Amino acid sequence: MKYKFIIPIAIVVIVAAVVLPSFFFILDETEQAVVLRFGEIRESITEAGLYTKTPFIDSVRKFDKRIQIYDVDAERIYSRDKKTILTDTFALWRIVDPRSFVETMKSEQIALTRIDDIVYSHVRNTFGKLDYDDIISGQRTDVLDEITKLAANDMKDFGIEIISVRVKRADLPDENRNAVFERMKSERMQEASLIRAEGNREAQKLRAEADKEAQIMMATAQKEADIIIGMGDAQALTIYADAYNRDPDFYEFMKRLEVYEETLADANYILGPAMDFIDKFSRGE
Amino acid sequence: MVDVKIEEPEDNFTGGGGPKKSFLWSGLFVLLVIVAIVAVYFLSGFFLVGPDQVGLIKRFGKYTNTVGPGLGYHLPFPFESVVVVDTSNLRKQEIGFRTVRTGTYQTLANESLMLTGDGNIVSVEMVIQYYVGDPAKLAFNIVDDGDIVKFTTESVLREEVASSTIDSILTTERDTISIRTAERVQAELERLGTGILVKNVFLQEVAPPKQVIAAFDDVNSAKQDKEKLIYEAEKYKNDLIPKAEGEAAQLTRVAEGYAQERILNAEGEADRFLAILQEYEKAAEVTRTRMYLETLAKVLGEASKTVVLDQSSVLKLLDLEGSER
Repeated sequence: MKYKFIIPIAIVVIVAAVVLPSFFFILDETEQAVVLRFGEIRESITEAGLYTKTPFIDSVRKFDKRIQIYDVDAERIYSRDKKTILTDTFALWRIVDPRSFVETMKSEQIALTRIDDIVYSHVRNTFGKLDYDDIISGQRTDVLDEITKLAANDMKDFGIEIISVRVKRADLPDENRNAVFERMKSERMQEASLIRAEGNREAQKLRAEADKEAQIMMATAQKEADIIIGMGDAQALTIYADAYNRDPDFYEFMKRLEVYEETLADANYILGPAMDFIDKFSRGE
Repeated sequence: MVDVKIEEPEDNFTGGGGPKKSFLWSGLFVLLVIVAIVAVYFLSGFFLVGPDQVGLIKRFGKYTNTVGPGLGYHLPFPFESVVVVDTSNLRKQEIGFRTVRTGTYQTLANESLMLTGDGNIVSVEMVIQYYVGDPAKLAFNIVDDGDIVKFTTESVLREEVASSTIDSILTTERDTISIRTAERVQAELERLGTGILVKNVFLQEVAPPKQVIAAFDDVNSAKQDKEKLIYEAEKYKNDLIPKAEGEAAQLTRVAEGYAQERILNAEGEADRFLAILQEYEKAAEVTRTRMYLETLAKVLGEASKTVVLDQSSVLKLLDLEGSER
């Protein structure tokens, strides 16, 4: 019999476990909520913690309060100078005011659609006022800050904060991309042929320089050689002259004899009496 | 036999002392069950935090404190709960490619191709490594760290690439781009309060798009061709100049040899002449005649000759010689 009290206690605990939670709700660090009574907002809570509510009458709708990413689909936009750019943007956003959010949005899905519309239209409008080069260039942070500000302003009334809008990608459509590839190719081809031409030029310069140097070297040597030869010849002439001038007459006689010997050895001779030599011979002297 | 069988269970069912005993039993049983439930309930507050993790304790959903690795305890639901966050593991995001499995990569053209500031397109692949600096911020401020890091890095990287030229991206600016990207991504993640710390940004393959890579390679081979042409011309020069120097030296030496020869010949001949002259002067007339006759003998001695003793027959002979030819 002494355990009999256990069953009522158990029943009380179970009933409490079922009933008590409907008096309270817990908000996580990642959540925020509105408390609704018959569809009317009684309270908006953004701090985590334990809160009370009237059971069965109040209902609690919780929303994420963390930063979320909305990846806007890549869209074709047109710059002021009528060029097509494929931009892929994303927005970082969060719900900051659950009350306004509940009042204006039925669900997060609708919120996303709204974010998509607003971000996309601001991107298109803002970029549409800029030239292609300015959109493509790396200096688009200011423009994006501007877009962020405009979008944030539009979404403010919906209880949504647009933290930033950024361009994940700004690309050319395929057809323009191919044109760029072609241009890049021809640029590089030009560069390659220019480099080769430079190589030929440098090489030719070097060869010509070498040829010139060699030619000058040979000419200088030839000049020196001529001078040396001339001086040799001159010295030889002086030596000859000095010697032969001692008796020019005898030199001539001697030289003549040498010449006779060298030049007349193979000739046919008719020796006639006009010659002293034969005359003397024929006369028997 | 049949009756007995039916009677037996009846007997047991209404057996003396049975109800009292089973009530006691069931009371004890319920108590045990309750104790067990309570024990399990309180035991559910134990949790394990790994060596590279931290536990974030929340009381009624509100973050109160952080506990380190080991066995921890929090008050059971609904009073307290814990979120365990990996902290020391390096997390990473890949841009422009995906690791299919270790060592195998797949390039994603749409993600890797980027416009450069000079209107060209370059293929850039990057890895960003990061870790959790503030677990509470990571767990409570953002939905997903991977996408935030990846998207932010992608947008910053593209801006960096767009503010540079293709040639400097391919060569000198590589490091600058990764450093600047890391800094800007870090600043952005801090501004958002993500609790993420960027550890490294590595540029992997930075290359011209595959459609134009052949043309880019050709530029490199043109550079090599240029080097080769210049090298060959230098080789030509290095061959030619020493050869010319040799030839020039040869020319000079030959000339010197010639001059020396001429002088020596002249000296020799002069000496010979002077020697003969010296002898000649001793007996001029005789020597002269002797020299003359000696030469005559030498010249006429070998040669064929016709001697005409009569003056008139010389012409006839000349006619004969002429007609013979």
